[in-house]
Amino acid sequence: MTGPVFVIVELRNGAPVRSSLEALGAGRRLAGPPGTTPVIALLLGSAVESAAAHVAERGADQVLTIVDPRFDSFQAAVWSAAITALAQELGVIAVLLAGTAHGRQLVGRLAARWGAAAVTGIADISISNDGAMLAVRPVFSGRALQEVRVDAPRVVLGLRPNAFPPPEPSGSKAPVLAHATPELGKLPALGHVSGFETAQSASGPDLSEATVIVSGGRGLKGPENFRMLDELAASLGGAVGASRAVTDSGWKPAALQIGQTGRTVSPQLYIAIGISGAIQHLVGMISSRTIVAINSDPGAPIFKVADYGIVGDLFQIVPALTSEVRRVRGS
Amino acid sequence: MELLVLIKPVPDPETRLRPNAAGTDLDTDGVKWVLTGYDESAVEQALLLKEAIPGSKVRAIAFGPAPRTEEILRSALALGCDAATWVEQPKDAAGDPMLAAEALAAACQNVPFDLILSGKQALDDEAGLVGPAVAERLGVADYGPVVDLRWDAAANQFTFARAIEGGLERMVAPPPLVVGLQQAWNDPRTAKLQNVLKARRIAIDKVTWANPPPGVGPAAPGTHVAAFRLPPPRTGAKMIEYKTPEEAAQKLVRLLREEAKTLP
Ligand SMILES: Cc1cc2nc3c(=O)[nH]c(=O)nc-3n(C[C@H](O)[C@H](O)[C@H](O)COP(=O)(O)OP(=O)(O)OC[C@H]3O[C@@H](n4cnc5c(N)ncnc54)[C@H](O)[C@@H]3O)c2cc1C
Repeated sequence: MTGPVFVIVELRNGAPVRSSLEALGAGRRLAGPPGTTPVIALLLGSAVESAAAHVAERGADQVLTIVDPRFDSFQAAVWSAAITALAQELGVIAVLLAGTAHGRQLVGRLAARWGAAAVTGIADISISNDGAMLAVRPVFSGRALQEVRVDAPRVVLGLRPNAFPPPEPSGSKAPVLAHATPELGKLPALGHVSGFETAQSASGPDLSEATVIVSGGRGLKGPENFRMLDELAASLGGAVGASRAVTDSGWKPAALQIGQTGRTVSPQLYIAIGISGAIQHLVGMISSRTIVAINSDPGAPIFKVADYGIVGDLFQIVPALTSEVRRVRGS
Repeated sequence: MELLVLIKPVPDPETRLRPNAAGTDLDTDGVKWVLTGYDESAVEQALLLKEAIPGSKVRAIAFGPAPRTEEILRSALALGCDAATWVEQPKDAAGDPMLAAEALAAACQNVPFDLILSGKQALDDEAGLVGPAVAERLGVADYGPVVDLRWDAAANQFTFARAIEGGLERMVAPPPLVVGLQQAWNDPRTAKLQNVLKARRIAIDKVTWANPPPGVGPAAPGTHVAAFRLPPPRTGAKMIEYKTPEEAAQKLVRLLREEAKTLP
């Protein structure tokens, strides 16, 4: 490979999101050991200093910042103009993006502007013997896998969350350089953000970044019983999700809904409790690493996609599971 | 208001997937192609906006080979779209989404529009590239994944939310705009039989690859699918046998720790 690799680092509340750190790990994997192909982390926005320092110790050879409030809210048109200009200036060969909502939105636009190939939803990446890049991506809701070969001088790569380990702090610090905002050219008429409705559960990680999700369905019978799931999730350091039967009934906010008309998640561990496993739900969680189903109906379709199943009454199983997890994790 | 909806025929979600002989793609023999998933929601949302804004028209636009592409455009017409454009993809042309975006952007260039909707991603290849790439080609802003999309006539702007990590980001934006839809106001409608029959008689505007409008050309896509395979079959869950809930919990935790290694 003959040019640097860009990793775009997305910030939330001033800190890099976990999936962007995973993208740094993927970038390192692609580029080879430090000293070969340089990995450049790129941060855009008005308050990027502390995040830049954090990233400088995690796999990047260099950290570039563009300090400009025009990047404080995500606008694909603005971001793709800036990244394209910079990629051209520095002779970049690949841009890696986290699988966040914004990252996914950016891939196609950036590739069209930069004249690059594009691959999204990447779960694994390697270099073939003849030097071509090979990306593995689940398709058809995880029911099939594509291996995509990239034969292009430039490529934009969108990664799946939870597929690449974020790099450990290296002990050394990469240089952090400020770069002027590149010429953005003519921009289209843009929208603007008018407000934000938080949908996070009071404590615990966000669904898209949680490594464990405890998800409840109609089998819970009422909103008050979700306390049980909160406790199990807390014992695992995870987040609580829900099926649409639950969000439609108003037991949980719509933002916790997983599935076709809700969120797509891929945690290490997904525990489906009192969820039947309708196709519209499966679409949103099937690429989770390990799936556990707890359901009183042995014929529930969720058992066809689960790795481990317990047929039984969730009201008995869940409290027992929480105690056992607390016991083994010593919490 | 002029509304365009970009749609794509995808295999029925119930399809039993099989790789083709070369192991590079889905074996499409006997596959039923349908309008479904986020694309279906995009059509629904376009129709709801049309019903809410007097004088609106919805045109469905699809890129793909015969006959499946023409068939899903007919489904869109049967649901209530007013017109349809089919950009025909020859059988041997690559299926790269970036190429599809080129073809679709060129087809949109000749049509006036206030809003272009697409699903946030297709249910088959899940690429999510087409809408944003079309927006770049047309030089308009794009937003996604979008929910609660409305038209504020007094202010001459759209209001919607981006469903992002941690919540809903409320936005306002003037036309013209490209949005990748996550969810319409309600579940997609089904077509009435009489409308299915009527839709058969509506002429579909056809743009062939052999005679592409300016801007559409067989550009090198730069990627190709080297292998298409099925993951190791899920043999169904390993069912945990137990006498007491405590025993079930112990067995599960042990399996998650020692076998799956996914218990934190
Ligand atoms: C266009 C469209 C989009 C959709 N999008 C989504 C989506 O994004 N997400 C989504 O989830 N759904 C979606 N759906 C709905 C989906 O089809 C299902 O209706 C929904 O997922 C069912 O939710 P559920 O599994 O919680 O409820 P149910 O299907 O009612 O299942 C409840 C389960 O709980 C079990 N149970 C009951 N009591 C107990 C007990 N005491 N102990 C253990 N188990 C028990 C039952 O055996 C049953 O399997 C969509 C549908 C449509 C048409």
